[in-house]
Amino acid sequence: MTVRPWTRAFPIRFHCPVATKRSGPLYTLLAGLVLALVMLSLNATTGSGKSSYGDSAPSPVPPTPTPSASPTASPSPTPTPSASPAPNADYAGRTADRAASVAIAVRDGKAIAYVCDGRTKEAWLRGDVADDGTMRLTSSPKGSTLTGTLAGGRITGAVELPGRTWKFTAAKAVKPSGLYRATARVSGAKVEGGWIVLPDGKQVGIIDRDGEPSAAPSIDPQTGAVTVDGEQLTAKPVVP
Amino acid sequence: MSADPNARTASFPSPPGGGRRGSRALVYLVPALVAAAVAVGLGVYGKVHDPTGTAFNLAGFSSPGAVKSWLATGAFFFALIQLLSALAMYGRLPGVRAPSWTGALHRWSGRIAFLLAVPVAVHCLYAFGYQTYSTRVMWHSLLGCFFFGAFSAKMLLLRAERIPGWLLPVIGGLVFTVLTALWLTSALWFFRTTGVTT
Repeated sequence: MTVRPWTRAFPIRFHCPVATKRSGPLYTLLAGLVLALVMLSLNATTGSGKSSYGDSAPSPVPPTPTPSASPTASPSPTPTPSASPAPNADYAGRTADRAASVAIAVRDGKAIAYVCDGRTKEAWLRGDVADDGTMRLTSSPKGSTLTGTLAGGRITGAVELPGRTWKFTAAKAVKPSGLYRATARVSGAKVEGGWIVLPDGKQVGIIDRDGEPSAAPSIDPQTGAVTVDGEQLTAKPVVP
Repeated sequence: MSADPNARTASFPSPPGGGRRGSRALVYLVPALVAAAVAVGLGVYGKVHDPTGTAFNLAGFSSPGAVKSWLATGAFFFALIQLLSALAMYGRLPGVRAPSWTGALHRWSGRIAFLLAVPVAVHCLYAFGYQTYSTRVMWHSLLGCFFFGAFSAKMLLLRAERIPGWLLPVIGGLVFTVLTALWLTSALWFFRTTGVTT
């Protein structure tokens, strides 16, 4: 076969009639634009309340003393408590895009939270829980923030890490699911580990070796035992 | 390789006066400006817009990630048809004489690929925005914005007359390469991380 130079134009028979040739690409672009706008308007009208990721919309209704306020038929033994402050419990769940997990331990109006993607991004956050169930937790050093509302046995909100914002829902977590932490010195390095055990039994964790984060080995949720670099450590439940 | 000054991309004679300097510059300037505006506009929207983390799902799929991965895979499939049909049209497929419908195949596979890619981009920008928290995500964000700019330029250049014959293959190849990189950094990553699910 003869190799034609790239500079050669198309053979004429590939050209469509003049009208189509001139407007076809414009119609293509226009169609894409219209499709994008239709999808954006669909998102804008149905987006916030009805989430495709399965987390329910946060309920703005404050906790009421009547248990009948929640019409769900689920056999959940957690009636919304009448007394403020917020009930003592652990909460764990995933971010909306399921890329990371969030666990929050609430005790006597104080909360400590851990956000972790199981690879490199993590943050520990602390703060107070207001009587209406709202909280704003911050990391130390500063850089990450978690805002959430505790209502109906779950915490919904958003957590902001440097360069990343996640929405999340964390449901009440019963042991062994919850939030665990371990600190130790292993062969000269300062090792800090954080784990979130989700209600479905899955867990994510990050080990910091002298501040260098990496995926953590699994802990035994019953005992907290974990082996890091050949050293046996015990991860303990975190309380604020 | 030098540009053939007689190369035509249109089969009809160009109107008189089409070769004036001013309008010659516009032939390149308009697509370049539109491409830059599209790419920068998408990037700025993704950065400024507060990502919602959610968007509507399609029935029959387990998650938006699966929907997007399959749409992107479809777009990539039609992009492969783009590559093959373009090679055939330019006589670069050894032993293949391009049939007369190759042009139509190229146009329609391109349209389908583009229209499959648009919902994916809408979801990306609406739910996630422009992010840089890992190398994969940074390249995906950057190339995603670049892709739609480059595609707009390609579409506008198709309408131009008397452009060098190498320009469309170069831009088309660029668009294809970027789409491939986008697919590798998103759908392939998704299938490798969560498994090939629907």
